[in-house]
Amino acid sequence: MRYSLKTIVLLLMISPVYSLAQETTPRVNSNLHGKVLDSLSHEPLPGATVQIEGVTHSVKTDAEGNYNFVTGQKLPYTLIISYVGYKTKKVIAKVSPLNMLLTADANQLEDVVVVGYGTQTKKDLVGSVSKIEADEINRIPVASFDAQIQGKSTGIQVNNNSGVPGDGINVRVRGTTSILADNNPLYIVDGVFINNSSLQTVHTGGRTTSPIADINPTDIISMEVLKDASATSIYGARGANGVVIITTKRGNYNSAPKINLNVSAGQGKLSKYHFWELSDGPTNAEAVNQNYINTRLDKGIAYDVAYASRPFRPKIEGGRGNPAEQETYDRVGRVFRNAKLNDYDLSLQGGSESTKYFISGAYTSQESILKVADFERESLKLNLDQKINNHINIGVSNTFSRTGRSQVGAGNGSQGNILSSAALVQGTYNPIYNPDGTPSLSGNRDNVDVMIEDTDIKAVSTRYIANLFAEIEILKDLKFKTSWSLDYNLYDEKGYWSDRMLQGQNGGDAISSISQATTWINEQTLFYRKKIKGHTFGILFGNTLQGNTRKNTTAEGSGFPNNSYRSISDASIKSNSESWTGSNLASFFSRIDYNFQSRYFIEASIRADGSSRFGSKNKWGYFPSIGGSWRLKEESILKDVSAINELKLRASYGLTGNQNGIVDYASSGLWTGGAPYANSAGGGYSAGTAPYQLGNPYLQWEKTSQVNVGLDIGLFNKITIDANIYKKYTTDALLSAPLPSSSGHSSYVANAGELSNKGFEFGIDATIVKSNLFSWNTNFNISRNINKVEKLIVPITYYSRDWIRLEEGYPVNSFWVYNQLYVDPQTGNAVYEDVNSDGKITADDRKIIGTALPDYFGGFTNKLSYKGVDLSFLFTYQIGNKMLNLNRFLSMHGGTRADRSLYKEDENYWKKPGDITDIPRFTSQGNNWTLETVNRFIEDASFLRLKNLTVGYGLSKDLAKKFKVQDLRIYITGTNLWLYSKYKGPDPESNTDAEQMVQGIDFGTPPQPKTFQLGINVTL
Amino acid sequence: MKRQEINRLQAILLIVFLIMNSCSKFLEVEPKNYVSDEITITDAASAQTSVRGIYDALASSGYYGRSFQSIGYLSGDNLQFTGTVVYNQQFIIHNVQSDNGTISSVWTAIYKAIDRANHAIEKIPAITDPKLTSTLKDQLIGEAYFIRALAYFDLARVYGGVQLLTKPTSSLENITETKRSSLEETYNQVKSDLENAENLLPNTLNRVRATKKTAWALFARYYLYTKEWDKASSYATQLIEETTNYPLIAPYNSWFANNIVASPESIFELSYDPAFITGNSAHRNSWQPTENGGIKDWIPNEDFLQLINNPLIGGNRNTLVAKTASTWYGNLYYRSNGTDPAYVLRIAEQYLIRAEAFAEQGNLEAAYEDLNAIRNRAGLEAIGYKASSTTKETTLLAIENERRLEFAFEPHRWFDLVRTGRAATVLGITDTKKYLMPIPLVEIKVDKWLEQNPGY
Repeated sequence: MRYSLKTIVLLLMISPVYSLAQETTPRVNSNLHGKVLDSLSHEPLPGATVQIEGVTHSVKTDAEGNYNFVTGQKLPYTLIISYVGYKTKKVIAKVSPLNMLLTADANQLEDVVVVGYGTQTKKDLVGSVSKIEADEINRIPVASFDAQIQGKSTGIQVNNNSGVPGDGINVRVRGTTSILADNNPLYIVDGVFINNSSLQTVHTGGRTTSPIADINPTDIISMEVLKDASATSIYGARGANGVVIITTKRGNYNSAPKINLNVSAGQGKLSKYHFWELSDGPTNAEAVNQNYINTRLDKGIAYDVAYASRPFRPKIEGGRGNPAEQETYDRVGRVFRNAKLNDYDLSLQGGSESTKYFISGAYTSQESILKVADFERESLKLNLDQKINNHINIGVSNTFSRTGRSQVGAGNGSQGNILSSAALVQGTYNPIYNPDGTPSLSGNRDNVDVMIEDTDIKAVSTRYIANLFAEIEILKDLKFKTSWSLDYNLYDEKGYWSDRMLQGQNGGDAISSISQATTWINEQTLFYRKKIKGHTFGILFGNTLQGNTRKNTTAEGSGFPNNSYRSISDASIKSNSESWTGSNLASFFSRIDYNFQSRYFIEASIRADGSSRFGSKNKWGYFPSIGGSWRLKEESILKDVSAINELKLRASYGLTGNQNGIVDYASSGLWTGGAPYANSAGGGYSAGTAPYQLGNPYLQWEKTSQVNVGLDIGLFNKITIDANIYKKYTTDALLSAPLPSSSGHSSYVANAGELSNKGFEFGIDATIVKSNLFSWNTNFNISRNINKVEKLIVPITYYSRDWIRLEEGYPVNSFWVYNQLYVDPQTGNAVYEDVNSDGKITADDRKIIGTALPDYFGGFTNKLSYKGVDLSFLFTYQIGNKMLNLNRFLSMHGGTRADRSLYKEDENYWKKPGDITDIPRFTSQGNNWTLETVNRFIEDASFLRLKNLTVGYGLSKDLAKKFKVQDLRIYITGTNLWLYSKYKGPDPESNTDAEQMVQGIDFGTPPQPKTFQLGINVTL
Repeated sequence: MKRQEINRLQAILLIVFLIMNSCSKFLEVEPKNYVSDEITITDAASAQTSVRGIYDALASSGYYGRSFQSIGYLSGDNLQFTGTVVYNQQFIIHNVQSDNGTISSVWTAIYKAIDRANHAIEKIPAITDPKLTSTLKDQLIGEAYFIRALAYFDLARVYGGVQLLTKPTSSLENITETKRSSLEETYNQVKSDLENAENLLPNTLNRVRATKKTAWALFARYYLYTKEWDKASSYATQLIEETTNYPLIAPYNSWFANNIVASPESIFELSYDPAFITGNSAHRNSWQPTENGGIKDWIPNEDFLQLINNPLIGGNRNTLVAKTASTWYGNLYYRSNGTDPAYVLRIAEQYLIRAEAFAEQGNLEAAYEDLNAIRNRAGLEAIGYKASSTTKETTLLAIENERRLEFAFEPHRWFDLVRTGRAATVLGITDTKKYLMPIPLVEIKVDKWLEQNPGY
């Protein structure tokens, strides 16, 4: 740390030295100029490289596609013209001017793909890397780019969790490898390892906000997902869950300023598909009566006595009126709305000979269809590159954003919860207002209208992500790069619960919580690449230092004079707290790659990572990998087969690690100072100390080995096929291992488990038609992942009522329930499977039924264009994943709970002998009621969804010129337009909790909206 | 190599060297919120903070703050369930499963208190700090012994004989493998800890910390459970005779109403501080209706309401319950900032302990005298002792019924009925295996030395 400033100064000092280096003026023998154009459209190609064969002299075309050579060479000579996405072409230049046509390469073998610490062309790739073009998806209104990549690539499972924009989502690259450590991939934005764990502290029902939503997706140009060990091992300790490298837009040298404006507006609507339908008041009331009477019968009370005191009996008998007299009050409909969506995005890019720039400003506002919740983001982006001289480049990437959210409790929690406790579970016969006009608080739950009117939870995230780098060419082929990065996030939350809400009943309740997360990174790489005849050889060395700190200050208050006073200074009861935690990481890495004639490739890497989180004995972990590929296409037997334009076999093996997500001091034995008690009666508390956690000096890196075999096929220059099989095996899995509580401790962080993931991925991309007039591209991908807990000392249960259980031999996120076989038609009693055959039903008879993880998932994309009209659509799907329908569970159906709603689908509950149904007789006695965690609530949540449909129209070049613009496109885009699922709720992707071991629970989760947006995109 | 190139290379190597050099202490980051467990109980101040830490565990929501108490009163016959979490209902209908959440949180919380006490008992004697006078040292160690005695006593009442751990857990290595002891051995541990506490604790008056008098009160209860009537009545007498310190204050609600804390009735109660609102509020929420900001997990049942509201039976104890527009609710824990004390030992209990001990010894007249002291305070007429008609059985039944109302919302009724063998008659539980709660399923799975109670 002490040296960091010095190092910068040193760098700045040495920089000018190089700019003094001078070139001698060459003798002019020829003057050649012309244009490089697309062979189909004859559009100019700016930035294409034109090189004279045999010498190093090359130039790039400008914005109009012009190039110009002033050279000592005499005509004729051979030119090599190359451009990203086009076939490289050789032309013999005889006269000037010379225009050249390049043909687009449908198979994109020459596509540049970003990999760890470098770039490669697609054909040279050894590892398994998927590239996702951002412009295809960045209009999907979900606030964060990670939510937009669903269905776009093999091996990446994205679960959207909820319909609230900017909420955290789950992304899994080739399965779940960790239990306690983070399972999301590593996100790298312009070289910065960004923070992806939410800073939210205010409880809003279980889910938390996404720090990824601080980044404006439209600033992104491409995302590369690194999947196998060969690709990820260079990130060592952080590569086990895959790596997503985000590249944002930059300018081009020698190009005129280009202004791009995009404006869109639209609406989100509630999808009525499988929307919750509650029984009407009379039916609901009848069920409550049934339950009441049955319960008393089961207690041995005579029918007449029980019947006489049923809750819904005539008012003159002191009851609430007969069921038939009950009104129906709809609460669920009240909490949803049509949501407004707005996007404004303005950018400027261009460059001179030695400077290039990209500047953008964007504003997004997205309301949630669930009332009160909304999301807005203002962001600024500035990317600059400066050539100091022929040897030195410096650049900066800056992202600055402010994200504001209104939040509302939805999900877990009986108080302050708008969707579950204030609406879904409330008996529909209960009036929303008392006869005197005041909001009723029936059944101990918040009033739905009060929740809508009084909810006041605001969170503002201020984020700055910056990277400064200098690239120095020390020798020809030897490059040095140093980079300095910062990810700073200030997260400021303020909530007030009015005295009309349950949480605020003691004169209002307020919280103010301010969190700060800071990451700084320093990185050096030294890279050498040499081509000698057919042999290409590269070597990379590097090191990284990273420091993370996180800090929180919280103040809470209650007892306010009235609801107009919301500052905690006005509270009569106050409390506050502070926390700080930090960790450091140091790494050294190296990679060697070699290929012979672009035919045989071999690549090996190693990374050493040291973490302050681990005990002194095990601070360092070493993560090697090796991979190779064989381009059979280059073999003589295939070289001339024109139908096959690519055939490549890849294989890799390597080790990656994980330590993300575990607490910073997990290896240390600690005592807390937060155990106060009084010295005498009436006196306040004095400080007290107590054991906090047991140390584990042997705590070490979790390691995941991965073997991958892949095949890349290209056919007819139109079809590409990408297939992989892989197996990942995690050892020393970090987890919170249970201890006998008699020790005074319930758990400690240990390396105590093993997990495996194996599967295959298959993707096919076909350009069926491509002409100037009409084109059609289709892409289909499917992935299979089988997850299994291979070793675990003891099963670990999660969530209330132990709904979820981690157990050896089963996948993670498995549901643990009593298995109801049928309902006895005579008695109406549920009959359960006696799993251990001991003749009684006890907790030992709970078993695992299904997991929230899908067996198969993927997407299907089509892009069509005819003249200026384009159409694209994307389907996403998951097969085999299960969902716990906790909404239904918490209604009357679940435990025949008093004063609760009933779902229409559940009206066929057992009523009289002979009834055939799977919903047992309603009673609050016996097993029907006590054994509540039953398989009835575990539902199939496989789905097929029309995720996105976009229709656009772009002006032709001639027309555009008339309007004095370069490009103009108008488009309509819709998301979540169609869904098929057997799940009996509106959204089969629902997820109520941020805990990664708790997945697939739908509990008051607002569904994803159907959205429609109209947009216009102008380039000047 | 050109000269410029050599210069560049040298500059780069210098940078790399500097960065690698700065790495030495880089991988050590000290926490700020917690301290290392290597320096914990070393002087007078840390000895005192560590003992307050034991009380913190005793007062925690898993123990006297809520969950442990709920097992005692829910398993009786005074309450009905109106909440959502079925775990609570399992106690009311006497069908507790081993995966019951309360069962496991109570187990964890009690052993946490024991471990904290073990740390104090092990480490405080070795401290040499002039500020730690021998009086203070004895008091602190005595308090730790007292809490450990209470903790094992409560474990025995809920689960039967348990694993007896008397050494602190300081590292993963010293988590010992221990079998369950018998109920008798567990009670012996309670007795020996209580004797140590009695010897070490000062004979002062402090209603929120353990003193010699607190140890006596627990001894009286202990001997009631072990049916050593002589000792039970003599310990109870020691407290009853301190009429200045421990009067039976009237009316009944004087010991809890109007936000009073540490009333003269209290021998030992746990104190909560409004400045620490976050930890306090759990208990009253379960009792209070929505209108008062609670969630009303349980409410008095119809039978109990008839008794408590009958002026000839409940007397002025009817202040334990209150009514909203539509429902009755228990009102012992009512303070909106969650500072209701947890009542552990009250003088009224000592009267009823002695009454029972006298009755068991055949001294029925003396038994009625103590019983009537309680009835008198509740605004009820004395039950006349008639040598001709009063029997031991009727006396014991009268005491039992009095205890049901006197300690309606405190953790007594269930333990009383189990201890006297009356659970079958009164609650209709014929399966005596149900008299003990199951050992938490999760503990059974983790600890191979821990055996489940029969019947679960």
